[in-house]
Amino acid sequence: MKTGGRVTNWVANGLSRDVVAGVVVPGRWQGVDLAIWRSATGVLRAWKDRCPHRGMRLSHGFVRGEGLSCIYHGWTYGTDGRCRSIPAHPDLVPPAAIRAEALDCAEADGVIWVAGAGEAGPLPAVTGLVPLRSLALHALPGQIAAALPGLRLFPGGLRGVVVLGGIQTSLCLLLQELARGQTMIHALCGPQDDPVAVSRGLEDLRRSIEQGVAA
Amino acid sequence: MTPRLHDYVLSASCYKVRLMAALVGVRLDLVAVDFHPGREHKGPAFRALNPAGTLPVLETGELVLTESTAMLVWLAQGHPGWTGDGSRSAAAQVQQWLAFSARLAASLGMARLHDMLHFPADIDGCRLAGIDCLREVEAHLFEARLAGRLFLTGDRPTIADIACFPNVALAPDGGVGLEPYPGIRLWMRAIRSLPGFIEMPGIHRLHELRPAPERGAA
Amino acid sequence: MIPQAVQDCWYPLAMAALTGPYPGRATQLLGQPIRVFRDAAGTIRVQGDAGADLPVILRFGHVWACPGTPQRDLFTIPEADHPGRRLVDCGVVRVKCSPLRAVENFLDIAHFPFVHTDILGAEPHTEVGRYEVHIREDTDEVWATKVRFHQPQAAMSAEGGIETEYMYRVPAPTAAVLYKTCPARPGDWDVIGIFVQPLTEELCDVWPWMALYDDVTPQAALIQFQQMIFLQDRSILENQIPRLLPLDPGMEIPTQADLTSVAYRRWLKRKGLTYGAQMVAA
Ligand code: FES
Ligand SMILES: [Fe+2]
Repeated sequence: MKTGGRVTNWVANGLSRDVVAGVVVPGRWQGVDLAIWRSATGVLRAWKDRCPHRGMRLSHGFVRGEGLSCIYHGWTYGTDGRCRSIPAHPDLVPPAAIRAEALDCAEADGVIWVAGAGEAGPLPAVTGLVPLRSLALHALPGQIAAALPGLRLFPGGLRGVVVLGGIQTSLCLLLQELARGQTMIHALCGPQDDPVAVSRGLEDLRRSIEQGVAA
Repeated sequence: MTPRLHDYVLSASCYKVRLMAALVGVRLDLVAVDFHPGREHKGPAFRALNPAGTLPVLETGELVLTESTAMLVWLAQGHPGWTGDGSRSAAAQVQQWLAFSARLAASLGMARLHDMLHFPADIDGCRLAGIDCLREVEAHLFEARLAGRLFLTGDRPTIADIACFPNVALAPDGGVGLEPYPGIRLWMRAIRSLPGFIEMPGIHRLHELRPAPERGAA
Repeated sequence: MIPQAVQDCWYPLAMAALTGPYPGRATQLLGQPIRVFRDAAGTIRVQGDAGADLPVILRFGHVWACPGTPQRDLFTIPEADHPGRRLVDCGVVRVKCSPLRAVENFLDIAHFPFVHTDILGAEPHTEVGRYEVHIREDTDEVWATKVRFHQPQAAMSAEGGIETEYMYRVPAPTAAVLYKTCPARPGDWDVIGIFVQPLTEELCDVWPWMALYDDVTPQAALIQFQQMIFLQDRSILENQIPRLLPLDPGMEIPTQADLTSVAYRRWLKRKGLTYGAQMVAA
């Protein structure tokens, strides 16, 4: 995302607490579908959402211990991306060339960030705020920014102090473009803000932005 | 008698009943109905059992039930917890979600029948209404989680969760993606991890619940 | 531009028994609108958009048509005519995938433990042994034989599962037939087919069909079993990337267990049957 003249490759892909140990979830970075998963010991990985065997989405797979397995034929990939087992050939040691394609991922302040492999700048800072929730809008990032003139752009999204549902809130909306004109908002708010009120305020905000987009 | 379920394997409503029975350990006698392509449920023999010509139908020996939510109530009887904690507010909330599950069936469920089995439908309208439902569930689960609750009406599953789970989990069959709903994902995972859980086509086994076989063990 | 070889094939369009009078079933074939109906004389007809009739064959309970000029007869399944077999039409299921991916999946056994868990396969019995694949010269069909796989509970009484033997056959680009040892009659095969109607390159209607030795199981239960299996595959098929079947060998990584798939892809490529295929890596 290009924001305020600075370029960062990092795109928020969710809140840490929504990706618990042992799960895989779908993600998206610059038009590329991702499988984001956390191993049993907590190692987080972001890979292209495509099994090298026959193209099945890895985000439909399952995590056992320190590996992600594809749901189609059970090929299992370790945290280093290498295929380490092919159930149809239990005695075969898979060639080293078979590997999932990894992107960079990092976590800070309760946010999961993804960037193109080896090309990331510094992580956008969202310190001082607490993760709230993620929600999708049928609107593009630019339309969301335009609907919220009170927030300022920063690398990763929008932030500032706004009145939401009648309450003054420190809000940070990390923006992630999804497919088909949708945008995921990963919202953070001030530690003193009432999370239920902010969540409901965000629902209102979504309705009004989507109405504006439809009009 | 063993309760008899007139069943169609691809029906989300029939699955609700099979799932509930499995979770509470009630054995069902399944009678397959040729819903597709035979449309047996619209024929005279089936209509004699259920004039509405809908599935599922549960014959309990004393009753013939034709609404899946009523079947959940019947199955949960004698299994405390599955209908709430006995409080007035829990009882009302369970009813709230049972009624909500009809909205899921009319939106996401219909989109699925359209996309999969060629049912005529206003597909865009079904999907949009389905997305509204999913957003309501997601927002509710967010607030529940803040209060330390994992399920729709409390910290344990009830028939409310079982009534809503199938059409939510099967939404992708009707072209409605579940990518944007982290809360729903965690809730579905909690349901799929319950002891006795059974799957249906479109909802695969949580293979992670079992350890990987030792290499060479086969 | 759709290759002539693709146009000249036969494709399934409807169940004959469910084909009613005009307007009948309005559907699509190779991206073109098409109509299947029974005329006043009771004859099943298939017409394109301009109202011209297409060549029609009624076989295996289904209506088949050719949008081009048929170069050969539609394949036969001799077992379908064996006395004592029950023929079961299983209806239609729409899938958002390439028709060729639907066929390829049907030829695959390694997914049984993960997709048809506890029905057609189960961990730890995941190994796919060597089997044989060849192109039959006389009929120009892809065949895989001596395919053996562990099946849990093939029969209610079979504790601990059994080894089931399969043969696979691709007699047309969008049809596949599987022969499977029949627990009720050792030495005989159950025959299960899928007939795939290519609506577009990324959308298909799939018509499963069976010819079984089974006098006991109610028809509805047989249909439901087949639909259950196929619908377990549907969520896989709608989530493979890319949607089109890659014919460029560099795009996906086959192993020995994928020999049938490799032969099928080569056969398609050699014959120019590329509707629903992707030729070069995107
Ligand atoms: S496609 Fe992933 S294991 Fe086969
Ligand atoms: Fe399959």
